[in-house]
Amino acid sequence: MSRLEIYSPEGLRLDGRRWNELRKFDASINTHAHLSDGSSYLEQGNNKIFTLVKGPREPSQRSQLDQSKATLNVTVNITRFSKFERSKASHKNERRTLEIQTSLVRTFEKNLMLQNYPRTVIDIEIHVLQQDGGLVGSLINGITLACIDAGIAMYDYISGVSVGLYDTVPLLDINSLEENAMSCATLGVVGKTEKLSLLLVEDKIPLDRLENVLAIGIAGAHRIRDLMDQELRRHAQKRIANSSKK
Amino acid sequence: MQVQTGYLNKVDGSSHYENKSVKVICSVTGPIEPKARQELPTQLALEVTVRPAIGVPTTREITLQDKIRGVISPIICRYKYPRQLCQITLQILESGEEETLFNVKELIGCINSTVFALIDAAIAINSIAVGVSMAVMGDGTFIVDPSNEQLKKSVSTHALVFQLVDGSKVVENVLLLDSFGNFDESTLFEVLEYGEKHALSLAKDFRKTIETKIKKDLFM
Amino acid sequence: MAKDIEISTAEAQFIVGALKERYRLDGRSFDEFREVKIKFGNEYGDVMVEMGETKVHVRISCQVTQPYEDRPFEGLFLISTESTPMAGPQFENGTNTSGDEVLISRIIEKAIRRSGALDVEGLCIVAGSKCWAVRANVHFLNCDGGFIDASCIAVIAGLMHFKKPDITVHGEKVIVHPLDEREPVPLGILHIPICVTFSFFNPQDTEENIKGESNQEIAIIDATLKEELLRDGVLTVTLNKNREVVQVSKAGGLPMDALQLMECCHKAYSIIERITDQIINQIKEDYKEREKYKALLSSENARDAS
Repeated sequence: MSRLEIYSPEGLRLDGRRWNELRKFDASINTHAHLSDGSSYLEQGNNKIFTLVKGPREPSQRSQLDQSKATLNVTVNITRFSKFERSKASHKNERRTLEIQTSLVRTFEKNLMLQNYPRTVIDIEIHVLQQDGGLVGSLINGITLACIDAGIAMYDYISGVSVGLYDTVPLLDINSLEENAMSCATLGVVGKTEKLSLLLVEDKIPLDRLENVLAIGIAGAHRIRDLMDQELRRHAQKRIANSSKK
Repeated sequence: MQVQTGYLNKVDGSSHYENKSVKVICSVTGPIEPKARQELPTQLALEVTVRPAIGVPTTREITLQDKIRGVISPIICRYKYPRQLCQITLQILESGEEETLFNVKELIGCINSTVFALIDAAIAINSIAVGVSMAVMGDGTFIVDPSNEQLKKSVSTHALVFQLVDGSKVVENVLLLDSFGNFDESTLFEVLEYGEKHALSLAKDFRKTIETKIKKDLFM
Repeated sequence: MAKDIEISTAEAQFIVGALKERYRLDGRSFDEFREVKIKFGNEYGDVMVEMGETKVHVRISCQVTQPYEDRPFEGLFLISTESTPMAGPQFENGTNTSGDEVLISRIIEKAIRRSGALDVEGLCIVAGSKCWAVRANVHFLNCDGGFIDASCIAVIAGLMHFKKPDITVHGEKVIVHPLDEREPVPLGILHIPICVTFSFFNPQDTEENIKGESNQEIAIIDATLKEELLRDGVLTVTLNKNREVVQVSKAGGLPMDALQLMECCHKAYSIIERITDQIINQIKEDYKEREKYKALLSSENARDAS
């Protein structure tokens, strides 16, 4: 395989973006109105994810019942055809998947007002139809949108994005080719603040460069928050228009 | 032999047992509430887990677990704790023998450390069990606590566990006799007799260790 | 975790209340790491690490196997972490799929295996057919918080201490020399990653934490079990002495200001610097102790040496 030029001297990346540009972000909510209480479909670059939120509802097992707050469950279904090559084994019980699920539960536990729904359970189901790098970030965005659609009380948006570090240049919102070629960090940013709910770094990054990476990540996450906000307002306006027609 | 009880503080009873090249940690948690499928209506349920120093548990460790359970069951007053559970977990730190060939030293180490951990956990027992590992060499000599080299050269290996009563001065029962290799009936009886003698003297050490432990517990 | 350990409301309030006054139950300051005790066993790669009441035992072992087909030039390296009720009643036999346990094993895996701390290419014997498989068995003995930090220290100290038997290769034939026949060879360690865990507490209400500007959240280093049970968020940073961030994991929990997180990373660096030196020194001393009689028994003489 010929060596890919991850970042050209002219400052262009593999897919023609510059270092601080996001991928195409296309979201829609309430896509599965009959299947669930809240749903979203998200395309972030080539990541294609739909998220279903079911609940708050009666728990099926007594063990899930918490007197003080709602129990939050997240299941991530990474389909076998989600990558270029079909994977032979199911991703269901992989440690990576379990880790992602736990991380997502812990991220949203602190951001959803679960204390408002005691003795109930909220199930979040995510189906990854296609993945192309920065998966965890996209999952966070999908859940945020679906939870808002479900009308679950939240403190603020959480927007996720991943940032790579190529030599000394931080690259925003990386795809899978870039993800494999360099080390990267995934951020989950709360609203328009500089607070991180989630931060995962899986490869080596020089300590002194980390601050730079976080800064560009936070800026990117704020931009994603605005894009999500736009979609929500558009959707809400459509609904209002529809209801006033009747 | 060196035993330290109360080695761990998150469990009800524990012991750190070291005898020559064998090092075992035993923890006892119980009596606690069992899972529905473990529960026995009239007596205490036992859950014995042996974890090897190297690698994941295999059938070898399951065999050890079964043997340990067989030895421990008769010395615990199980009728005292109906519908309850006792978890016994053994972690082997150093086996002192080639794991693929032998398991005598580990077995005896596990059993002896379990007795101490049970006492530390204050689970009612009716007598103590004392284990001895032995090897019979080619020239007919008996070796107690053989080293790995001696095990490899031996013609037969024996694991013996005795139940001691009356202030640990009288052997009541043979709880376990596990022998491998070539030996005849008369050798086996000699091994038993020799082992018995050694077990009785070992019991003195046991009692001394327990005595100092109780003294320490009382005057803390 | 299987059964949650319950902590009484009174005790919980007391501990959090004391933290607000900047006191910890064991009298440590907020950024004080517990003293790390490292003990080596008789064999190479047998390490016991104690941090306060936390005890972790690690045993490194190796054997000759076949490499993976797609990686003929690399040996195998495996870290197995399994917990038993020995470490505390919250752990259960056989079920290691609960959130906490998965996170522990994944973080250790990322910190040491994925970061390439062990030179796996050096484990290759005959390309494509024979290689060493190095295995680290982590035994959790007693849990009083900081399992990740203690296990990471134990595994990396074990790998540095371990020596594998020397080998001679004749074409496809490999002779493994027992330890008493030939001096065994140490493993190739490329860098020394050390984990430091921060626990976050929120002294105010949630609203203030998310919307406020005050950033009053409390961050403490190396929490004990009780503090771990009460914490609102956790951050594990893995660094090495080359000032590289090997791994960072803040899997949800209390939202924290990015600058505060950066500050944590810098604090962690001074700690890992100290622990790295401690590990290196203790291994040196242990080797010296083992080789005490070597000079006497050696048949080498001064003339050979020159």
